[in-house]
Amino acid sequence: MTSIDVRDLTKEYGTRRAVDHLTFTVEPGRVTGFLGPNGAGKSTTMRLVLGLDRPTSGTATIGGRAYATLHEPLREVGALLDAQAAHGSRTGRDHLRTLAASNRIPVRRVDEVLEETGLATAARRRVKTYSLGMRQRLGIAAALLGDPPVVLLDEPSNGLDPEGIIWIRTLLRRLADEGRTVLVSSHLMNETASFADHLVVLGRGRLLADMPMREFIHARVQPRVRVRTTEEAALRELLARHGYEAALGDGGGWIVQHARVEDIGRLASEARLPVLELAAQEGTLEQAYLDLTAAETEFTAQPQEA
Amino acid sequence: MPFTPVLHAEWLKIRTLRSLYGALVALFAVTTAFSAIAATDGSDDPEFDPLFTAFLGMVPGQIAAVAFGALAVSSEFTGGGLWLALAAVPQRGRWFTAKLTAIAVPVFIVGLVTGGASLAAARAGMGAAADGLTAGEQLRGALGCGVYLALMALFAAGLAALLRSGTGALSILIPFLLVVSFVIGDAAGGLTDFLPDRAGQIALHSTWDGSLGPWTGLGVTALWTAGAVVAGAWSVRRRDA
Repeated sequence: MTSIDVRDLTKEYGTRRAVDHLTFTVEPGRVTGFLGPNGAGKSTTMRLVLGLDRPTSGTATIGGRAYATLHEPLREVGALLDAQAAHGSRTGRDHLRTLAASNRIPVRRVDEVLEETGLATAARRRVKTYSLGMRQRLGIAAALLGDPPVVLLDEPSNGLDPEGIIWIRTLLRRLADEGRTVLVSSHLMNETASFADHLVVLGRGRLLADMPMREFIHARVQPRVRVRTTEEAALRELLARHGYEAALGDGGGWIVQHARVEDIGRLASEARLPVLELAAQEGTLEQAYLDLTAAETEFTAQPQEA
Repeated sequence: MPFTPVLHAEWLKIRTLRSLYGALVALFAVTTAFSAIAATDGSDDPEFDPLFTAFLGMVPGQIAAVAFGALAVSSEFTGGGLWLALAAVPQRGRWFTAKLTAIAVPVFIVGLVTGGASLAAARAGMGAAADGLTAGEQLRGALGCGVYLALMALFAAGLAALLRSGTGALSILIPFLLVVSFVIGDAAGGLTDFLPDRAGQIALHSTWDGSLGPWTGLGVTALWTAGAVVAGAWSVRRRDA
């Protein structure tokens, strides 16, 4: 199968280093979420993988080969960088036909991907009449055109309606299950959490994390327990005595930091406190991500100089 | 990548944009109409050149050829869309060659047809004044018309690729073709013969004076075009997409 290999990749625009000695591998058979704040270098990295920009140093290869050396690249890599790329005066179908022709992809595939992306009824309309969500679907159709083993999508859920977002989630899952290599950038955490298996996180062009999503969350977000009782004072005293840090939660009850349900349940039971609710709180990707980038974000407010 | 599918794609891109289609239609219509009108007067002029009168419509008509060349290239840049073209065909030299071929061939063919139609229309209008035209001159004129228009379209395409903007290329070329060449006219002496439009249009004259003839004139235009195309190719190959 085909992986994307980024090795010591650096790209400078003038004096600004957009990508800084980046090394990671995107493996087939799973969805890799590509995260980072605006300007972290996600899009630049994708452009370098596609051979659109020249790296200052380092390499980006697909199945060991530079993109420019691929024989019929659309059959090997499908990409969506910017849904505005389609010329507004062409019909959606003509747009895909021109792409298909250069890579000798049969016209039958054009109609298949139009069907698959839900654009079949709009296929003969000009692209300038398309909504943002339809343009996005057309961009995804173009990426799928050559039935490629590698798919790179930059912010694919941009402009999609709720059904569209569910559709793209299902699509990404299916592409990965078919054994394809799927790299999807996003700045929407809950969205990424719903489809990613693995994460690559960038900040200021550097690699901040490259690990399975579950592991990333567990490493970053401490386990918490939510507990509710009728004996508030007794519970608070009990938790404090055992060194737990607790705070009143939003919907009543206490949120206990660095705790597991087993520990808190046993304590409450031993103290004969009536427990109304006891639940583990899963860390979210958003919490884990914010924890990681708090110190790294390029656009965090800097103290103003006097 | 093999060249034929790339060329096929570039040809499809041109065929599927109405504005480009329109430019070719305008090239034919404007040139033929103006030539027909020009042919109906002016034969008393001592500098009357029956062949150039028949092709006078090409002076405004060439704007359409230039617009075709510039827009065919700049349509790839709208909305930052060049990445998509280069993702499909990452060998940029091959892509640009296919693009230029898909520009030059239709303009050449339409130019030939336009040349023939202009001659026919003008001869009908000129009557006896056209009798002096030999078959060889007429053939040279029609062929020159096709070659000249194709070269001007490529010139515009190269400039549009260099500037990454069709508007930029046209805002240089249109004033140049319509104003500069007329204004400096004969004033600057022999040197104006070497301007890309002046040189190439010698092929459309019955008589000429100066150092350039019909074919050497087209050669000079071809050199200008080669310069613009090489600069455009350099920009396409070297710059980040």
